[in-house]
Amino acid sequence: MNFFKRAWLNVWAKKGRSVLLILVSSAILMFVLAGLLIRSAAVKATDQAKADVGATVTLSANRQAAFKKMQSSSSSTSKSSRPKMTLTPVKLSDATKISQLSNVKSTNVTSSTTVNAKSYDVVSTSTGMGSSNGGGPGGMKSSASTGDTQIDGVTATSLTTAFSNSQSKITKGRGITAADKNTHNVVIEKDLASQNDLTVGDTITVKETAGDKAKVKLKIVGIYKASSTSTSTSPMSADPANTMYTSYTMANTFKGSKYANTADSVTFNVSNPAKVSSVKQAGRQLINTSKYALSTDDASYQTVKASMANVKSFANKIVWLVAIAGTIILALIVILMIRERRFEIGVLLSLGEARWKIMAQFFTEMLMVIVVAVAIAGAGGKFVGDQLGSQLVSQSTTTQITATSSTGQPGGSGMHGGTGGPGSTGTTTSAKAVDTNLDISVSAVDLAELGGFGLAITFLSIMIASGGILRLEPKKVLIS
Amino acid sequence: MLKTEGLGYWYQDKSDPLFQDINLTFEVGQSYAILGHSGTGKTTFLSLIAGLDKPKAGDILLDDRSLKKIGLTTYRRHDVSIVFQAYNLFTYMSPLNNLLTAMAITGAEHAGDKHFALRTLNDLGINEDLATRNVQHLSGGQQQRVAIARTMACDAQLVVADEPTGNLDEDNTKEVIAQFQKIAHDRQKCVIIVTHEPDVAAQCDHQYRLENKQFTQLA
Repeated sequence: MNFFKRAWLNVWAKKGRSVLLILVSSAILMFVLAGLLIRSAAVKATDQAKADVGATVTLSANRQAAFKKMQSSSSSTSKSSRPKMTLTPVKLSDATKISQLSNVKSTNVTSSTTVNAKSYDVVSTSTGMGSSNGGGPGGMKSSASTGDTQIDGVTATSLTTAFSNSQSKITKGRGITAADKNTHNVVIEKDLASQNDLTVGDTITVKETAGDKAKVKLKIVGIYKASSTSTSTSPMSADPANTMYTSYTMANTFKGSKYANTADSVTFNVSNPAKVSSVKQAGRQLINTSKYALSTDDASYQTVKASMANVKSFANKIVWLVAIAGTIILALIVILMIRERRFEIGVLLSLGEARWKIMAQFFTEMLMVIVVAVAIAGAGGKFVGDQLGSQLVSQSTTTQITATSSTGQPGGSGMHGGTGGPGSTGTTTSAKAVDTNLDISVSAVDLAELGGFGLAITFLSIMIASGGILRLEPKKVLIS
Repeated sequence: MLKTEGLGYWYQDKSDPLFQDINLTFEVGQSYAILGHSGTGKTTFLSLIAGLDKPKAGDILLDDRSLKKIGLTTYRRHDVSIVFQAYNLFTYMSPLNNLLTAMAITGAEHAGDKHFALRTLNDLGINEDLATRNVQHLSGGQQQRVAIARTMACDAQLVVADEPTGNLDEDNTKEVIAQFQKIAHDRQKCVIIVTHEPDVAAQCDHQYRLENKQFTQLA
């Protein structure tokens, strides 16, 4: 293994050349590492996005089927008796079956209605839009009047989009949880609370808008701040401050006894957004699709996934382009270096040295250079990766995603008996900013991968340049 | 020890060879000089017996074994040692490392023995201080002595030298030729020197002149 010693002696004796080679190799490897880092960061960001943005499958009444049914019955009846579109409330027993499917992380039951304020004053808006009664599209008609306070019955406030996106925040007390089922607990908005001097522990009275219009006392367990740009389209609760959260059982009570164990919609949070389709598919087997529909919402995930795929693809191109260019550059340098060392090769051949050992000497020399270059690139690659990554992200990955909150899932409206207001659940549109910053850090795996690239580049460079060694005739070099 | 049988060589035109049908014998313990004008083919002849090229006709036998059977790389590694006019040392090494490297490659008996290498260099007037400097810091005569020391440190029985005194002054020339004679007589090796200088050739035990494609032994 004398070639190791020769390689070391050469690298050490020709320090200037070695330093130059180290600098060139470091520059090449730094860009390779930057590409590798961005690629792995993009993969991590996509994985993180899966966990962060999540995806949902929502079970609700099949509005399309109901509309078709209404149309067919309207053609067979007289104009005087206009048919009503009847939406079937979701049975919780059906929802339970779906919630037991794999990949379903949590379930949020939503049941919305309106009530009238009794012991407090609602916050009135002055937008000019009016809080008048009026027909929105597609609502079901009811003989009952519409209340001035929106009641969003949920399993837990934390599972609603408004709270999970931090557009609404609990400022005092706590949110509604599964433990509030069958209780009269309520979470009210901060503005409503301050206007009426209400705080956690106080009791308010509301009046049902359906049935016997009974008065119901509700206990305030929490106060939330609605800081989102939410605009309710519900006519009687135009101001978001007039929205209260209760358990879905409480909301059902307001709607009437026939709504027990039902919901407007049930949202299933899927642990792996990539599995949304399979959950939807499996869910469809468990429900009566003529009455119910399953809709999915993985737009956030798809957007993040698409933008990260772009970054990853770009990073891949960087890695390969730099690797190929680096191999060519290094090969050219090595070819020039070998041409300069023809006499040395000739002497080695005249001493009877095997050609492969001469190649091994050059490879070892380059390996020594690459090892130092990998260390330098490891230190500098993070800086280059950070710069390149932030440039990429600023160009393409901070994405505004419009998502519908859990209270406004498609088909989830108009289920509360007696409200009479079309589309009265108040579909809340919120903008969800998905942070797709790339977390670029150099790990041992990245360095190992970089080392692999360095090794491959070195090997290929030497192989390309070694054609000269294999063809070299010592006589021509030494005796000419 | 070394025989050529019907040796011939040409470049392009077989009908116009450099030399042909050469039958010579070289013995250990003797020194041989090959004289000739430039372009007569004496260096080509040396490259053939040094195993740097293959003959176009005939054969070369080492102890009655054809070089074709031995293999040129093996032959160069174990049986022949070459001294060039331009020294051809490893320029990034010291004289000591030049010797150690050559000993390691050829698998010499004293491979790895630093003291043996230093002693060999010292015998040729390269002291320890010079032996550990880079060879490029040595004079031409010193570099040629290092090249000769390299052949002495290896175990090859055949030493061939191509114009070894071509770049040396008169004193160094005498010194180098004296060393070759010692190698032949004291170390019992076969030394073949290609030279165009009659004075150098005269100091060898045998002289051959390459002329008109044939070797002629001088009296």
